[in-house]
Amino acid sequence: MAADNRYEEEEVRTDDGSPITKPRPIVRLGIFLVAHSPVFSVVFSAAGVLALLLLPLLAKNTYISENALMPGSARSMLSNRDASDGSKLVKDIKNFRLNHEGQVQRLIGKYMSEMVAEVYYQKFQPEGNQFHPLHFFSGPASYTLLRNVSCASYGVNVVGIIRAPRGDGKESIVLVTPYDFINGGDYEDLSLGVVSSLFSLLSRVTWLSKDIIWLVADSRYGDYRPVAAWLAEYHTPSFKVSDQLKCDELNTADNFRRAGTVAAALVLKVDGRSERFEDILSIYADASNGQMPNLDLINVVNYLAVHRQGFHVKVEKVVSLLSSSWLKIVGEIFEAVGKVAHTLNPDWKFGIPAAEYIEGSATLASSLYSQAFGIPTGPHGAFRDYQVDAITLKISPGFPPDSKARQHDFFLRGSQLLEGTIRSVNNLLEKFHQSFFLYLLTSPSKFISVGVYMIAFALLVASLPMVAASLYVDGCKALTKSTHNSAENFKSWKWLDAAKQVFALHLLGFIVTLLPYFICQVPGQHSPRNRSIMWGTTSSLLLVTFVTIPGCSPFSSRLHGTNWAILKSVTISAAFIGLCLMSIINFATAEIGALLLVPTCLLAQPIKPALRSRRVKSLLGAFCSMVLVTIGFPVIFFAITKGLVGEGLVGLSLGGEFWTWLESLWAWKSATYLYIGMVHLPCWLLCVCILFHPS
Amino acid sequence: MGFVIKPNINSSSFHLSGRSFFIRRRQKKKKKKTRRGEMAEDQKKKSCRFWIWALSSVVFRLILISFPGNLNLSSRPEVSTPLTSIRRLAEGYWLKQASMSPYAGSMYHGSPLLLSVLGPLTVQRIKGQPSHLLCSLVFVIADILSAMLLRGIGKKLQMAYGLNARLLGLLKSSRDKGILPCGDIAALVYLWNPFTIVSCVGLSTSPIENLAVILALFGAVTRRVPLAAFGLVIATHLSLYPATLTIPIVIILGYGLDAPPIKLFLQTRSVENEESSTPTVSKQPKLKQTTRLPFLWKTVAHFLFWVLLWSLCVLVLCAFSLNKYGGLDEMFKRTYGFILSIEDLSPNIGVFWYFFAEVFDFFRNFFLIVFHVNILFMLLPLAIRLKHRPCFLAFIYLAISSILKSYPSVGDSSLYLSLWALFVNELVDMKFSFFLFCGYLGISLLSPVMHNLWIWRGTGNANFYFGNAIGYACFQIVFVVESVSAMLNHDRALKRCINTNHGEVKN
Repeated sequence: MAADNRYEEEEVRTDDGSPITKPRPIVRLGIFLVAHSPVFSVVFSAAGVLALLLLPLLAKNTYISENALMPGSARSMLSNRDASDGSKLVKDIKNFRLNHEGQVQRLIGKYMSEMVAEVYYQKFQPEGNQFHPLHFFSGPASYTLLRNVSCASYGVNVVGIIRAPRGDGKESIVLVTPYDFINGGDYEDLSLGVVSSLFSLLSRVTWLSKDIIWLVADSRYGDYRPVAAWLAEYHTPSFKVSDQLKCDELNTADNFRRAGTVAAALVLKVDGRSERFEDILSIYADASNGQMPNLDLINVVNYLAVHRQGFHVKVEKVVSLLSSSWLKIVGEIFEAVGKVAHTLNPDWKFGIPAAEYIEGSATLASSLYSQAFGIPTGPHGAFRDYQVDAITLKISPGFPPDSKARQHDFFLRGSQLLEGTIRSVNNLLEKFHQSFFLYLLTSPSKFISVGVYMIAFALLVASLPMVAASLYVDGCKALTKSTHNSAENFKSWKWLDAAKQVFALHLLGFIVTLLPYFICQVPGQHSPRNRSIMWGTTSSLLLVTFVTIPGCSPFSSRLHGTNWAILKSVTISAAFIGLCLMSIINFATAEIGALLLVPTCLLAQPIKPALRSRRVKSLLGAFCSMVLVTIGFPVIFFAITKGLVGEGLVGLSLGGEFWTWLESLWAWKSATYLYIGMVHLPCWLLCVCILFHPS
Repeated sequence: MGFVIKPNINSSSFHLSGRSFFIRRRQKKKKKKTRRGEMAEDQKKKSCRFWIWALSSVVFRLILISFPGNLNLSSRPEVSTPLTSIRRLAEGYWLKQASMSPYAGSMYHGSPLLLSVLGPLTVQRIKGQPSHLLCSLVFVIADILSAMLLRGIGKKLQMAYGLNARLLGLLKSSRDKGILPCGDIAALVYLWNPFTIVSCVGLSTSPIENLAVILALFGAVTRRVPLAAFGLVIATHLSLYPATLTIPIVIILGYGLDAPPIKLFLQTRSVENEESSTPTVSKQPKLKQTTRLPFLWKTVAHFLFWVLLWSLCVLVLCAFSLNKYGGLDEMFKRTYGFILSIEDLSPNIGVFWYFFAEVFDFFRNFFLIVFHVNILFMLLPLAIRLKHRPCFLAFIYLAISSILKSYPSVGDSSLYLSLWALFVNELVDMKFSFFLFCGYLGISLLSPVMHNLWIWRGTGNANFYFGNAIGYACFQIVFVVESVSAMLNHDRALKRCINTNHGEVKN
């Protein structure tokens, strides 16, 4: 945008005819940049991609920023007795299940109340995927609507609260164990065992100053939904008497208890045996729309797990990247450069080994992907809607479930890890605020902060305003020439026509984005494939109507219609604004979107003159822009990514898959959906318009 | 030879400065026949299109009103300020109904008259309809009225523009082809401006404040003195800042509408006299007398009288409505005092809240004076420089006060943006138009995102939102500066145009 500012200065100089005194250096710099925008745009875009590749090198080691946390400074008070409490619960649950003695919830509730906890049960209704377009713009509270309640399917959460002896009941820490009460496996029982060991300790300790809530979430309908339902009830109590209460003998009426604001939440899951001998702890942190919990929480868990309990900690990575050869080559190049730099000056230490680079890139890619997707990676995502920092700890034990000796040890270590974490959080005087909220992980102990990763994005999009400015100047000149004799000659307002077209297409994008809401309302059962066909046809019909409306159609070639350069300039400005906005809402989406959209926008040029000229350079340019535009179409990009992962999709099944994917996006209120519909799609359409512009 | 070439050179030079259509019309004049019928038809078509667009904007508003709960606009800090929020008004009304001062508890800070007009509407509900429906309808009507008044102002300005161009010899034909219908444009800009729509649907009282301001200007432009005085008094009563408009309104009433500087007319006149030099020598002394426009003291005095009368009315009414709750003292303290002492530091799109949240208490008074004097400092220099264009001066005053207001909202921007559209004929050459457009668009989209990041997600902080507010202020400043410089350039271009014309004539 600053560049926009500068080219106007240039205009002043050239148009007045009279030589004005030399402009300021910064203005001259701007004019220089705009004048050589093709070169600079290539340089900046390349630098942006390079900076993205460099990110794993620039990752910093994590550190505990908040002093009050003091992880691992206190000796663990957890004893063997507590661990055996956990074992006892697991054994009891097993027997209970075998004998079919009724609801497991009751058993867990009994255990909790034996540990002097306040126990209650909460019923909730599983919710289907409902798309309501306005939910994107409203807060979490406004969609708790009254639905038809059926007794056929509902879940029951068990909640126990330990009141802190030193607290005033205004703060709390939540422990969540998702558990399938109907068909929970042996490994799921272990997570209950770990937390109950901890719970039995916490009911005795004197240092507790925040209440502890243990939520056993009924994960029959997914992990996320029960936690979200409990949180909604916790934060926004409804005073209507629900019909659900009559459904069951479990009395849940009128006893929902609370324990102050939630300072942090830990979700513990135990699943499948790890392939190694040791226990593996995976940390999941991404909430909706790329929001992350405070880095300090991850740091504390990571520190305790590695240095105290000897877990092997890992975060998710894209496995297919680990074996990719091009990444290996890049890594080796960086390593070599680092070595050369080290020989030149021993103080320069930026090189990392190629293997580490590949690991970091794979983790970073996964981090980017899950943030861009905008869907929470676990039940911890529900907490982020209430500004609570939460992570999921998934432990894969390295032993078979029936090994009693290892199990005891496992309970001891697991609950010691949780104890240490709770003790740290317990020390906090304020909510987490010291460390980063905006970061990407490249390993459990390495991160890239917003200040670093924004550079890559900024470099990538920096070329957009420059090119927009230079195109604007060109377009204005061309228009002035062509409309020399027309009565209207508004030097400064030539962009209005182009802006009208751009606005029309963005409006179209908006309508297309909202269409699925109406398609979902169509009565009758339809397969995703049919729905996607419906969507596609209505959208194309809309496009055709839009194109036939005179005035807003970019294809209308009126006598002195818009010049394509100005149309492209306005398109690029729109893309720039959209990308910048998205980078604030969800950085990862904006980064991936920019990788697609920036080259497409920059290279889009009418192919007619290129074909006419028959020069190799222009033909090559036209070919490149055609390819980019093809890839840029969301469906095709989706197919390509699927193909890279290894699932080849063609034809109509692709439509069905795409529909399902989008459905998951809007079900989770992911802003990525809005980005695709309202920024990417219109800009892509405009690029197509420019390609086939009748110039 | 020179005689032939010169017009071409002129035309190209004008073309560059963007004022070419005058000259071109001169060139084409001979070819054209007067196609009156066609023109009338064209006119009809244009006005038909105007009505379609205006009606569709009303329909659009009504659609948006039907689901206000989902949009939740009335709680946006960009839309409703402590002064304009309807919720606060409803609270004030309830307090008054409960026989308490409406100003109790620092909730309501608006006018007591507005309370008695809008208050009952906040309570009344139609079954099955969203709450505040009646209020929304009042705001929609206010918007329509404002647009119509703007159209009226625009028509007058357009006529004045054509007349001046003809007097200066730049436009020879009697018809105004080539002059944009600035009234229609301004009305549509007002009706379709997203800012206006948002503040209308978002239930802020700024549509009514805007209506009062536009009413004052309309009264002044059409020389309905009591109406102008009424508008000014009500606008000042509602939001204090329109008091600055006294200067432009007095100039309009005293000197007349916007026109190029008087010097230019004299120049043209003298040349014309030279042309027809011999017949009347006796005219010469008369000319000298008209180097200064007469100031219509009588009208202005009339205006001031009406201002006094209306103010008295308003004060009496206010005193009457507040006589049990502390009277006028309380009102001035709670409305103007609240505006001037910036008590409410909740975030808005202005720049004051952040500054006064940070400033040390013992400097507070000093900085209050500094910030408010900012507006006052600019009044006089601008009035001197732009005295020949009083309507434009009013636009500049409103834009400046919307930047430096203590509780600005997007409703204020919508007002000055539509007033700006009244001068499209003069400002066609405004620079940075695209840049400013992108800036306004980007900022207004960014603002809710930043607010969300700070308040709801908790990942941002106050600086995020304040940065946005600074950006907004910068864009507004660039906008005002560019408008003024475009207007002054326009005057210069006219001067050059006349000089070259005369050169031509002499040749």
